[in-house]
Amino acid sequence: MIKVEGLGKRYKLGAPTAFDPRAGLMENIRRLTGGKRPDFWAVRDVSFEVEQGEALGVIGRNGAGKSTLLKMLSRITVPTAGRFTINGRVSSLLEVGTGFHPELSGRENVFLNGTILGMRRAEVRRKFDEIVEFSGVERFIDTAVKHYSNGQKVRLAFAVAAHLEPEVLIIDEVLAVGDVEFQRKCLGKMKDVTTHGRTILFVSHNMSAINSLCGRCLLLDEGRIEAIGDPGSITTRYLSHNSSGLVGEKDLSSSPVSPDGAGRFLHLRWTNTSGKVIDHVQLTQAFNLEVDFEIVERGYKPQPVALVYNSSGEIAFMTFPGEGDHPTQPGRYRATLHFPANLFNEDTYYVSFWFCTWLPHKVHFVLENAISIQVLDDLESPTRAPSHATVMGIVRPKLPWDIHPL
Amino acid sequence: MRIHVDAARWSALPDLHELFAHRDLFLTLAIRDLKVRYAQTVLGLAWAVVQPLATLVILSLIFGRAVNVSTGDVPYPLFAIAGISVWSYFAFVLKESGGSVIGAQEIVRKIWFPRLIIPLSKAAVGIVDLLVALLMVVVLLAWYGVVPGPQALYAPLYLLAIILIALGLGIWISALTIRFRDLQHVVPFIIQFGLFATPVAYPCSIITESLPKWVQVLYFLNPMAGAVEGWRWSLLGVGDPGGLCWLSLGSGLVIFVTSLLGFRSVERVVADLV
Repeated sequence: MIKVEGLGKRYKLGAPTAFDPRAGLMENIRRLTGGKRPDFWAVRDVSFEVEQGEALGVIGRNGAGKSTLLKMLSRITVPTAGRFTINGRVSSLLEVGTGFHPELSGRENVFLNGTILGMRRAEVRRKFDEIVEFSGVERFIDTAVKHYSNGQKVRLAFAVAAHLEPEVLIIDEVLAVGDVEFQRKCLGKMKDVTTHGRTILFVSHNMSAINSLCGRCLLLDEGRIEAIGDPGSITTRYLSHNSSGLVGEKDLSSSPVSPDGAGRFLHLRWTNTSGKVIDHVQLTQAFNLEVDFEIVERGYKPQPVALVYNSSGEIAFMTFPGEGDHPTQPGRYRATLHFPANLFNEDTYYVSFWFCTWLPHKVHFVLENAISIQVLDDLESPTRAPSHATVMGIVRPKLPWDIHPL
Repeated sequence: MRIHVDAARWSALPDLHELFAHRDLFLTLAIRDLKVRYAQTVLGLAWAVVQPLATLVILSLIFGRAVNVSTGDVPYPLFAIAGISVWSYFAFVLKESGGSVIGAQEIVRKIWFPRLIIPLSKAAVGIVDLLVALLMVVVLLAWYGVVPGPQALYAPLYLLAIILIALGLGIWISALTIRFRDLQHVVPFIIQFGLFATPVAYPCSIITESLPKWVQVLYFLNPMAGAVEGWRWSLLGVGDPGGLCWLSLGSGLVIFVTSLLGFRSVERVVADLV
């Protein structure tokens, strides 16, 4: 059904993309004088086959080449090397609601989005009532989409996507943004699709979705296929495979001292329990956040305060060292914040810091979005729902339950 | 359906079969633009009348009355509306399709379809305004009691030529704009300059009777020069559609054909550029 041979995509690093006359000119001069930009293969030498009715999951770290691979197979971008053949009608969903126009009504947008996704107008007309019913926005179907809430827009867009009848579906996890309810509907509909003998190529960070949907899984690393096979073993391999680590730390040692002279942060890093720097973690593992800071001026008792946000920007909690021995002397210190296992949900969490003295209360400076970590679901997680349903919530603590006969 | 993509093989010719397969998208995009265009205007379609009408009044006052350009037996307003009707379309297509691919970058980055659909659909939207303007031509013909002669049979051919010239330039600009965004700012200049370098407000004879040959050749390299002259001749029987006018039509054909090839070569990399 899908046959990919030696596919590769090369980008020139730092090459001017959009038009910038000076950059373009410099590029030409550089070329004339024989200088070359370094190449970067986003995808290299990728070969695989997908049979009809099979669902292949594609996983890998950010920048491993998943999106580039998908874009090539969707024909959005052309490969630099290799070839591929796809037999059958293809729909690629890299986004929901592509082409939605705010000035047009829901009705008009259904036609617009449907034909952009490759449906015929007659086909949209035939399925129109079904689409509108699925979306649940019947009442507003003749209202301009700019008056819709975000949720309504997404529901209508997804309703269109769900009514595509491709033989091959190429789908990106960006689909999975949105509310939990929507994600569930999305995954449910995709399951329907595979059971109807369609072929699916599915890119995701969501290991439980990959495991429950896909018959085979492909792991990409630095643009190459690292492994392909049974999703269970591939996802486990991916999760246990520690990253090279540079993303999981942030060097602030050259940052200036706060304006009031109290101090500054020097270094932030996520570490696992054996002290290795990490950028992602399984939710069943404990991990640490190390904060190196410096107190410069006497007279303050500053300490780091961490504010933890989820990927939707909701604050999960705020945490700081309790009462007790805080350093007051100028000097350099390391604060280690220990996160227990089974606290977070599956998400990317962002940490902002305050550098703050409590009494008298003074925030010396704020470091927004200082560092982030990806928390991944784990097949062995005790807080995992048996049906693979999404577990809702900003956090997902493991709490003791007791059940007794009355 | 079978899709085969090979990095080593690339056709320089546009895939017309694929283009035809996406005709519904073309139609939807054109309908979208029409609706968006008139969704929030009070006068709606009346704008399609107001714009050429305003141009007609100004040209009639300046060239018809003040300068008193000689247009033979034909009343000046009738002479002018013939040129304005097609020139407005030409200007519209240049303006709209020029930046169209850049304007559609959100879609272009997320889904594949023959990108040529984008400028084509913009040109199709202009057809509505063109029809309104042509209606004004008919009204003025009736008003002045002018009945076109047998040469009117050529009118559809000249109209087609003008549409293809507009498309060719529009497609060229949309392809080049992807790489050189500044070109968007050049379009209004081309339109303004082109209005004077095209026999819209005056007959070609002004050029052919008074300027040296090499200037005339330059003048008629403008594809619209010969096309507009021929179009007006087919309607009103004034002017000379032969001679250097053929140079214009040839230049138009070259522009149209090369635009398809040029667009094709940019289409390949458009998602990496926008």
